[in-house]
Amino acid sequence: MKPIHKNAPPSTALDQQLALLARITQEFATSLDIEETLGIAIKQIMVNMHAEAASIFLLENNDTELVCRTCAGPIQLTGLRLAADHGIIGNTVKHNAVQMVLDVSTAPDFTAQVDAQTGFTTRSILCAPLTVKDKKLGAIELINKKTDNGLFIEDDQHILTALASSAALAIHNAEMATALIEQERIQHELALAREIQANLLPSVPTNHFPVHGYNLPMREVSGDFYDYFTLPDGRIVFNLADVSGKGMNASLLMAKTSSLFHCLGKTQTSPGQLLHMINNEVHENSTRGMFVTMVGGIFDPSNNEVRLANAGHQPPMLQFADGHFEEILGQSPPLGIMPDIQFPETNLQLADGTLYIYTDGVTESQQNGKMLGEAGFQAMINAHRDKPVAARITAMFESLQREGRELHDDVTVLVIENKPQTPSLTLSVPAKANYIKDLRDSARDVVLAAGSSKEQADSIVLAISEAASNVIQHAYKGDDGDIELNIHVDSSIAPDQLVISLRDYADTIDINEVRSRALDDVRPGGLGVHFMKQLMDNLVYTVPEDGRGNRLEMRITINE
Amino acid sequence: MSKNSESPVKFEIDDEQGYLIVRFSGEIDLYGTPHAREVILNCINAERNTVIDLSAVTYIDSSGVASLVEGYQQAKNQQLEFGLINISDAVQNVLELAHLDKVFSIHASLDERIQAS
Repeated sequence: MKPIHKNAPPSTALDQQLALLARITQEFATSLDIEETLGIAIKQIMVNMHAEAASIFLLENNDTELVCRTCAGPIQLTGLRLAADHGIIGNTVKHNAVQMVLDVSTAPDFTAQVDAQTGFTTRSILCAPLTVKDKKLGAIELINKKTDNGLFIEDDQHILTALASSAALAIHNAEMATALIEQERIQHELALAREIQANLLPSVPTNHFPVHGYNLPMREVSGDFYDYFTLPDGRIVFNLADVSGKGMNASLLMAKTSSLFHCLGKTQTSPGQLLHMINNEVHENSTRGMFVTMVGGIFDPSNNEVRLANAGHQPPMLQFADGHFEEILGQSPPLGIMPDIQFPETNLQLADGTLYIYTDGVTESQQNGKMLGEAGFQAMINAHRDKPVAARITAMFESLQREGRELHDDVTVLVIENKPQTPSLTLSVPAKANYIKDLRDSARDVVLAAGSSKEQADSIVLAISEAASNVIQHAYKGDDGDIELNIHVDSSIAPDQLVISLRDYADTIDINEVRSRALDDVRPGGLGVHFMKQLMDNLVYTVPEDGRGNRLEMRITINE
Repeated sequence: MSKNSESPVKFEIDDEQGYLIVRFSGEIDLYGTPHAREVILNCINAERNTVIDLSAVTYIDSSGVASLVEGYQQAKNQQLEFGLINISDAVQNVLELAHLDKVFSIHASLDERIQAS
């Protein structure tokens, strides 16, 4: 070992010990692998402090045991387990104080158990506690000083105390880091679990599909689920369920139950029989006390009939076309509690109404300590009743999450509705003059179907035709491209508004250049924009969300 | 008399009482307008008084209206007559929208036009 200063006097024992302290402290502070660092450190400590053996014991098993994590010397002690109150080392930990025993034969705390096992003869011991703040971690122990008398001196005690405190800090940091890594690993696995769970839910259907669902888990994983799938005959099998409890165990039971439903539901189309089968399966090997509430059923879009069975779930709500609500009551217990139960079926005629199946996470969400309740849920439905199902569900969940409403449980809703669809049109044609007629003809049909008079249809068709002409002449300038026309009814801003949008993929044009000419200027051209402005209630040019091309949105109230 | 069956806009031309009568039928939009425009301008360039019969035009857009405006201006420059006769409701509405219903001389028929002059 080199002296710290080149011009320092010949190194004394104290100099050597200080240098050791500096080096080991540095190693501990920068250590990434604590086991390896401790292993190297214990050898250096042993050599430099002239001990015959050295070891580090750490508390484990809720601080009931001291386990040798690393050692140096003639005897291999790593892995040795002692009771936490065992011998001198136990005393060191217990009293959080350095113990220096010059002659173990006279020490009352010394137990010869280890010597007896190893054949090693312990004469003297220097033992320092490893603590960080008030947390006891273990102790570092030196055995038998290699001097003539074999005795440790007071200086040794100070050095070891200093080394012990930096070792303790290193061990503590390593434990914290390990805990952090473990936490990250658990987070990662929860994210995977969540992804798997999300994949168990059906994919988002088209707007025209009569069944829509929504699930908002409160944790990484959810105990709620819903499912629906179409049978070859066109009927739709659906369910919504809530597993008791939360967290990983609930989500595992969820995965099992939803898989049973998805598999058995393809052949067993009687909801009562289906729930009967699932109940027996879940009961057969369910964890004590866990259960699943479920509404399962089958919907026939051809005659709007719903057949459902309810296993202990809160009653679904049916909103009739006239707006009033009715609860669909059931009396059967949840799945998994007892075997061989019958689940009676209820038949409903959906007509132009809407069936809402939901978990209590919805009605038990709180605002200012007050639960939403069924009446609040119904009010929320009515507030968005005019919207198409998918937009309505989104709007309802947005309002659930707004205004500081506390959600304590997973929130899940399944909605079944088969109302006649408002006419709408999405059509893409090449940006060529001979395709404008196609746009006109298709637009006229859908606009008349939406309730426009023939005169209004003429006006709308003219506006669309003018807009398409402008796209061909001024956006594409004769180049190839497409024009996308979309027409739909929107009542979110004002009732019965027809929204007509034309989108192109040409270079984005300067909106300021799109203007109508003065009408007293009698010359060909430039009339189109004037027509559109005269015919429509509102005209807005925007750059589409993807930043390409142009979009013109025109609005008109149907037969204002 | 000539006839065109290829274009989306069909037309017939008759020579009556000193006027060329162009009878368009179909839809005059961006696709049909170049053809309709050519027919109108040919008549003017032949230095004939021209009336356009629009009774069978079911749709006309701003480009179609523009071709009528061009014919009107061209005729005026050459001191020729240019008028519209027998216009359908669809055409009437669009001309009103363009505030051109008072610019063109519009009559129910060629006879009525001759009587009015």
